[in-house]
Amino acid sequence: MPPLHELPLRAKLVLGGLVLLLLLAPLFAVLTGDAYLLRLAQRIVIYGLAAAALDLVLGVAGLVSFGHGAFLGLGAYVVGIAFTHGFEGSTFLGLEPSQDLLVLAPLAMLVAALFAFSTGLICLRTRGVAFIMITLAFAQMLFFFFVSLERYNGDDGVALWSRNDLAGTSLAADETWFYLLALACLLLFLLLGLRALDARFGRVLRAAKENERRMLTLGFAVQRYRLAAFVLSGAVTGLAGVLLANQSYFVSPAAMSWQSSGHLIVMVVLGGLGTLIGPVLGAAAFLLLEDLTPPLMDLLVPGFGQHWKLLLGPILIGVALLARRGLLGLLLGTGRG
Amino acid sequence: MAEAALAALELVKRFGGVTATDRVSLELLPGEIHALIGPNGAGKTTLVNLLSGELVPEAGTIRLAGRDITRTPAHRRRHLGLARSFQITSIFPGFSALDNVALAVQALAGSSFRFWRPAAREPELVEPAQAALVRVGLAEKASVQAGALSHGERRQLEVAMALVGRPSVILLDEPMAGMSPDESRRMVELIGELRGHYALLLVEHDMDAVFRLADRITVLVYGRVVASGAPAAIRADPEVRKAYLGEGD
Repeated sequence: MPPLHELPLRAKLVLGGLVLLLLLAPLFAVLTGDAYLLRLAQRIVIYGLAAAALDLVLGVAGLVSFGHGAFLGLGAYVVGIAFTHGFEGSTFLGLEPSQDLLVLAPLAMLVAALFAFSTGLICLRTRGVAFIMITLAFAQMLFFFFVSLERYNGDDGVALWSRNDLAGTSLAADETWFYLLALACLLLFLLLGLRALDARFGRVLRAAKENERRMLTLGFAVQRYRLAAFVLSGAVTGLAGVLLANQSYFVSPAAMSWQSSGHLIVMVVLGGLGTLIGPVLGAAAFLLLEDLTPPLMDLLVPGFGQHWKLLLGPILIGVALLARRGLLGLLLGTGRG
Repeated sequence: MAEAALAALELVKRFGGVTATDRVSLELLPGEIHALIGPNGAGKTTLVNLLSGELVPEAGTIRLAGRDITRTPAHRRRHLGLARSFQITSIFPGFSALDNVALAVQALAGSSFRFWRPAAREPELVEPAQAALVRVGLAEKASVQAGALSHGERRQLEVAMALVGRPSVILLDEPMAGMSPDESRRMVELIGELRGHYALLLVEHDMDAVFRLADRITVLVYGRVVASGAPAAIRADPEVRKAYLGEGD
C-alpha cells in the first residue's frame, strides 16, 4: 500500500468513511436501543487491534506467526489473575494487585513483550514452515500451562464480576465509553503503525521480506529489526487481550488455543496483508459472519448454524483469488491482480 | 608494495566431497581492477561469497585493509567498507529504483530504529541515493519500480547500491551477465570510471571486457588458482590457454 498521504481521493474517502462509521457506532446503538450492536462493535475494535498487531509481523515482515493467541491470552490472564486476587483479598507474589487499567495494561504489555522477546530469539532462527510450527509450539505450551493451572481454574477459566477501573471510574459504568477507549487504542496503534511502515523501521521489515540476503549484504542486522517487530506486535496483542477480558468478563486458555491464533491469521488475510487497516476490516467481516450466519443457516436448515465456517471457507478462497490485498484492496480498488 | 585493500590467504571451502575453494590466495590493491576468471564451476561465486561473508571458510584468512575479517558476518563487513553485487540480480522489485539505493544508504546511515519520519523525506538518505543513480546513469529511472526495469538497468542498479557509502572494496559478480552488447559497452565504461576510486574484484565471462579493464587477472580452475598476473602474461600462459581460453570463448 502506498503511504496514506499518497492515496487517491477515492481511497481517502473510503478510509475516512470507515473511521466515521466506527466513531458513530455507539450513536447508532443508542438510537436503536440495541446493546448487542455496541458489544459487537467493541469486539470488532478489539480483535481489529490484535489482527493489526499480528499484521506487523505477518503481512509487513512476512513472518507467519501461528502463535499470536498466546499474547492475547497472556494479556487477558493479567486481568484475570489480578481479579482473582482482588476478589479473594489475597496477594500475588506478596503484592496486592491493582485493578486499574493504567497499571494492568502496561503490565500486560510488558509480560507479552517479555514472552515475545524470549520466544522470538528462538523462533526467528527459523523461516517459513519451521517458523509457523515453532510459534505454534510455544503458544501450545502456554495453552497447556494455563489449562493445568488449577489456581486459576484451569481450562474453566476465570469469570470476571467486574471490569477494571480507569483512573477511579469502572469501565463497566458505560458501554459507549468502554467502546471509545478501545477504539482510541486501535486508532492510536494504526496511526503509529502506518507512520512506522514508511519510516526507516518499516522499510527494513518490508525490504527484508522481499530479499533477506540482499539486506544482509547491504549491512542490515535484519534479525534485530524482526525481533523488535515481534516484540512490539506481541505487546500490542497483549493490550488487546486486556481489553478482550474486560469486554467479555471472561478469561480462559481458549484465547491461547491454536484456533484463536488461526482466527487472527484469517482476519489478517481476509482484510489485506501488510496494510494494518485491512486486518481491522477482516476482523469486522469475520465477527459479523460468526454472529450473523448461524441464525441465517438455522433458518434454512435447523441445527445447521453451528457449521457456519462452511461459509467462511469459500469466502476466504474467493478473497484470496480475487484480491491480492484482501477486502481493503477490493474497497480501495488498488489491490486487484 | 602498498597494503592490500583485500587479501585472501589459503582459503578452503568444501561442499560435501567437493572442494570448491582449494587453498586460494588473492590480493586486491587499492584502486586496481582485479579480474577473476575461470570456466563454469571453477568456484568463482563461492570465492566471492567467502569474501563477502555469506560463506565461512574451513581454513584460511581474509583481511580487509589488514584487519582479519574471516569470521565477521556479512552485514558487518559492509560497514567496514566491503560491498558486492550479485551474479543473479538481487534487488527489491517492489521498491522504486531510488528507494533501492536509499535502502543501501540507510544501512550505513545510523540506526534504523526510527518509527515516525517517512524515510522518503530524509534528505540524508535520498540525496546520496540520487547521486549514486546519476553515477551509473539511471537518474531518469529513479521513480520506476525496480521490478519493471530492464535487465541491463537492474544490473546498473546493483552497481549503484554497491557504490553507496564509498566502500574501499567492491566485489562485482558477473556484472555483464545477460546484457545486450550495447548495455555491456556502457557497463565497461562505468567500471572503467570506477578504477582508481575503489579496489574492484571483477568476476566476468566476457573476455573482451576482462582484458580491456583488468590491471591483473587471476585464473581459477576446479577451485584452484592456476595463474595470476598481468593480462599480457595471462594471455600467453600455456596452462591458462589449455584450461580455459582454449575452450572456445
